[in-house]
Amino acid sequence: MSDVTLYHWEPNANSGKPMLALMEKGVEFNSHYVDLLDFDQHKPEYLAINPEGTIPAMTHGDRVLTESTAMMEYVDAAFAGPKLMPDDPKDQWRIRWWMKFMDQWLAPSFSMIGWSVFIGPMVRGKDPDMLKAAIDRIPMPERRVAWRKAIYGTFGEEEMKESQSRVALGIRMLEEELSKREWLASDHYSLADVNGFNIAYALPLSQPDLSNDEKTPHILEWLRKIYERPAAKKTWAMGKTDLAARIKFLERS
Amino acid sequence: MTMVLYHGDPNGPSLTVLAALFETGHDAELRPIDLTMGERHSDTVPRNVEVEMSIEGEGPVLVADGEPMADSVFIACYLNDSATMSPIAPQDPFARWQMMTWCRQIIERVAPAAAYLGVKARLADKLSALDDAVFEKLIAPIKSGDLKARWADIRAGAFDEAKIDDSKAKIKAAVEKVDTQLSDGRDWLLGDFSIADLETYAWLSGMRDIEPAAFESATRTGAWIGRMQARPSVARTLSLAKTTAPHQTWAPGPEINRWG
Repeated sequence: MSDVTLYHWEPNANSGKPMLALMEKGVEFNSHYVDLLDFDQHKPEYLAINPEGTIPAMTHGDRVLTESTAMMEYVDAAFAGPKLMPDDPKDQWRIRWWMKFMDQWLAPSFSMIGWSVFIGPMVRGKDPDMLKAAIDRIPMPERRVAWRKAIYGTFGEEEMKESQSRVALGIRMLEEELSKREWLASDHYSLADVNGFNIAYALPLSQPDLSNDEKTPHILEWLRKIYERPAAKKTWAMGKTDLAARIKFLERS
Repeated sequence: MTMVLYHGDPNGPSLTVLAALFETGHDAELRPIDLTMGERHSDTVPRNVEVEMSIEGEGPVLVADGEPMADSVFIACYLNDSATMSPIAPQDPFARWQMMTWCRQIIERVAPAAAYLGVKARLADKLSALDDAVFEKLIAPIKSGDLKARWADIRAGAFDEAKIDDSKAKIKAAVEKVDTQLSDGRDWLLGDFSIADLETYAWLSGMRDIEPAAFESATRTGAWIGRMQARPSVARTLSLAKTTAPHQTWAPGPEINRWG
């Protein structure tokens, strides 16, 4: 029985980041699936672990860790196994810069679109009173606003347009970066790749006009290369929904 | 090769990086620039995608081995991790996680709020007094579309009431968090002095005269600010100021979180 427990949803975005990092390190962990679509993350059992009600969370012995990017740095530093941060502090700076850029600038735009086409419709069929109560239970006011917009489909036209243009720019930036180096932000497979893969793995499906073999060959090669890794295969095999199942398109023919 | 640091007046991210530089003992050539007049986008400052698209907004640029670097917390980590000791960041993985998580919350919640209130109070009038042609020339080289839009909004005085209220609430919450953190009598936020102290001080100290109510009953925070100012690295940083009140120097910062 491992002393590491990960509370996660699908191998996707923030949940997938520590899942893949733990797999790459070869760390055994207890998987505790938190069903985002059933609002498990705002129920008392989960709030006892992470009072902010955000996923993922990880326990290591009696330590509780949240914030997926910082959590991945912990996973890399605290456990034996292949290093996911190169030794050069300059590489580390670049990796952190790109992770922040993805976490705070690119991923919110990706997910605004993802939530409006995927998560919103999936939960909208539930009982309206249950949904209202579920939203009222969310501890962080910012997350309440986000969920309300996703559930009721009230993202403004302006903000959706802005998200779409950020996605387009972000794709161009990723393509350019991956044409400079074999991996994202350094010459080594690192946490930047683990992070980037989690937000971008389905990009060629969700943005087929912007990301495809002709327009973004480096992104496609990078995604396929990561999906070939045994750790990625194992991580995505833990998915339970169609969201994670989409990854199959990355199989090389 | 000596590093070169292009920095603004010691407040916000420039303060973090200058003090981190002095704490870690690296040798660097200091080149002051006026971040409030967009000099970071002038030809004198080397730029790459990380500088141009930094979501920190108008922060300092450190050039090391020919590579321009942006984002104050990560530059501070670089300065720490390339120093012989580890003077401003813990090496223990869990303590490092605590520091990175603390800093992430400052970066994500406090910095945008402080910058919003700061530029409203200290920069908007200065920009609106500029001739159109001068202002257009100032923002023309800015590559980040959302940063450029923030400059234009500030000049136009386009401040959103909901964002102002939200920013005030975030500053108040941050001061409460700092005060609670210090309640066991510790000197520094996470036990040992770290980048978390620098980054928190850098964004909050200039809020004292803009949001005084948030600090009124926070006596432990007040004492911590006193300790910060007495620290040689911070005192040296503040002595580099070009203005008499560097904590009143605000340039456009990170954007306010778009959807939670």
